[in-house]
Amino acid sequence: MKTRLGTTNIKILVAVFIAIAIGVVAIVKLDTTGKKGSGLGEEFTYDLEKLGIIDPNLILYKEPAPAIDTGFSESQSIAVAPDGSIYIAGDKAIRFFAESGNLLGEIKLADMPMCLTVAGDGKIYVGMKDHVEIYDGQGKRLATWQNLGNDAVLTSIDVSKNDVFVADAGNRIVYHFNTTGNLINRIGGKDKDKKISGFFIPSPHFDLAIGNDGLLRVANPGNHRIEAYTSEGDLEFSWGTFSNVNIEGFCGCCNPVNFAILADKSFVTCEKGLVRVKIYDQDGVFTGVVAGSKQLTGKAGRICSTPAECQSRAFDVAVDAHERIFVLDTNKNVVRIFTKIKEE
Amino acid sequence: MTENKNDINRRHFLRSSLWAAGLTGLGAAAGFLSRKTHARNTVWQIDPEICVACGNCATYCVLEESAVKCVHAHAICGYCRICFGFFGPEPADINEAAENQLCPTGAIIRKYMKDDHPYYEYTIDEPLCMGCGKCVLGCNTFGNGSLFLQVRHDRCLNCNECSIAAACPSGAYKRVPADKPYLLKKVDTVRNSETDQTHLSKKEKRMISKKARRFSNGVDSA
Repeated sequence: MKTRLGTTNIKILVAVFIAIAIGVVAIVKLDTTGKKGSGLGEEFTYDLEKLGIIDPNLILYKEPAPAIDTGFSESQSIAVAPDGSIYIAGDKAIRFFAESGNLLGEIKLADMPMCLTVAGDGKIYVGMKDHVEIYDGQGKRLATWQNLGNDAVLTSIDVSKNDVFVADAGNRIVYHFNTTGNLINRIGGKDKDKKISGFFIPSPHFDLAIGNDGLLRVANPGNHRIEAYTSEGDLEFSWGTFSNVNIEGFCGCCNPVNFAILADKSFVTCEKGLVRVKIYDQDGVFTGVVAGSKQLTGKAGRICSTPAECQSRAFDVAVDAHERIFVLDTNKNVVRIFTKIKEE
Repeated sequence: MTENKNDINRRHFLRSSLWAAGLTGLGAAAGFLSRKTHARNTVWQIDPEICVACGNCATYCVLEESAVKCVHAHAICGYCRICFGFFGPEPADINEAAENQLCPTGAIIRKYMKDDHPYYEYTIDEPLCMGCGKCVLGCNTFGNGSLFLQVRHDRCLNCNECSIAAACPSGAYKRVPADKPYLLKKVDTVRNSETDQTHLSKKEKRMISKKARRFSNGVDSA
């Protein structure tokens, strides 16, 4: 009897031990925390690393000085004044900096500015969401122009001696004003007679700049093009193609998001998705790279992890008379200055 | 005498075991009932602002075919001709041929919209979607982030312990009220087509960013 009882108890103990062992193995083996990954095959991975790698021989610019911290928590747009001061729009204000990075001044605004430019006479033209405001160098508001409607999302502004051009991503149109704020013309609307297919703006990135030849250049990001218009609204020509693989093309769904024009009439373009700043000559022929994703973000492929990071504003670019290129990093809210590498 | 003592011990052992089992069962039943009552009012959902589309939703669900599917917020879609939620990163051509598509199961339908502009509408063929989130990565990287993952409540069993939630690297799974079971992306009127993260505190945003970065680095190095 004693032996039978002892045997039974041992059996129970062995069973309990086996159950515990199975439990431990299950806990160790089972990946309940997802650390081992989804286990999906290669066809399910999304890798842009290869596309983000840029041939170092194509990089024509260097970054000799540290970036300028704008101090903004949300920066939107950059402009360089004729005197070389750097103007940044962000956080319901305009801040302007010396080349050294010293803050020269700040203009407080009632709302978030979307874009800005500085005229030859020093006046600051600021595009708010739905209207334009003009300030003098001391921050005094000189004018507030007409409201362009609820759908308006002004994303770019440029000014010449007599004309002001404003890009409206919401209405997919360019407004042509005179310098007193009278609307002269709407440019770029669909017009079969003029063979204008209109602007294709999938996201709120729609840039323009007045070219040194007097023609207005407007990015048509959904068509991966830069288009040239007369001030009367005639489409003269366009250039640009899509390509994710070839550096000569504009990547993604809708690029370039921003651009600037150098004194030698060549273009500095800025792309989102695969963040890269590149140079094209005046005819739109690719000539080189200012900086790629690796230089600008530290990553060659995807630069974002969370949706919020991915959907943050695109980088902006501006140039000065000395062919320097100013890149506004809207993630870190800093200005990075690139200068041309001298040919040996 | 010794035998009798052993008999009592054995009886005690069995009686104690029965008591313990009974009490454990009672406790478990009470816990199950209370959780069941709690679960009746809330359901699992993915916060699209936190989701990093890691792919775990496709494989960790207890269902053979995951309850997670991609959904499309047409209000924030750019209707792009070259949509990188639809096309792979290196499409040979811009057409609907299978080799150009990003989705491994061909679950996204691209349809030309009659307009002078080259607008295209993208819809999800739900039975084909397995919730891998590959299209979400493409759309987030290049587009407006209009494609995102959601737990579909016509499929979800609403388990007390969701196995995908346990395996979610960014902590995107939440209990949400059963009468508002979806967390949909919103249109930001100022920036026209961006995601709304205003409900998150700065600390939460920092945490999400940190977690997501850690996750990305893990994937990159793998």
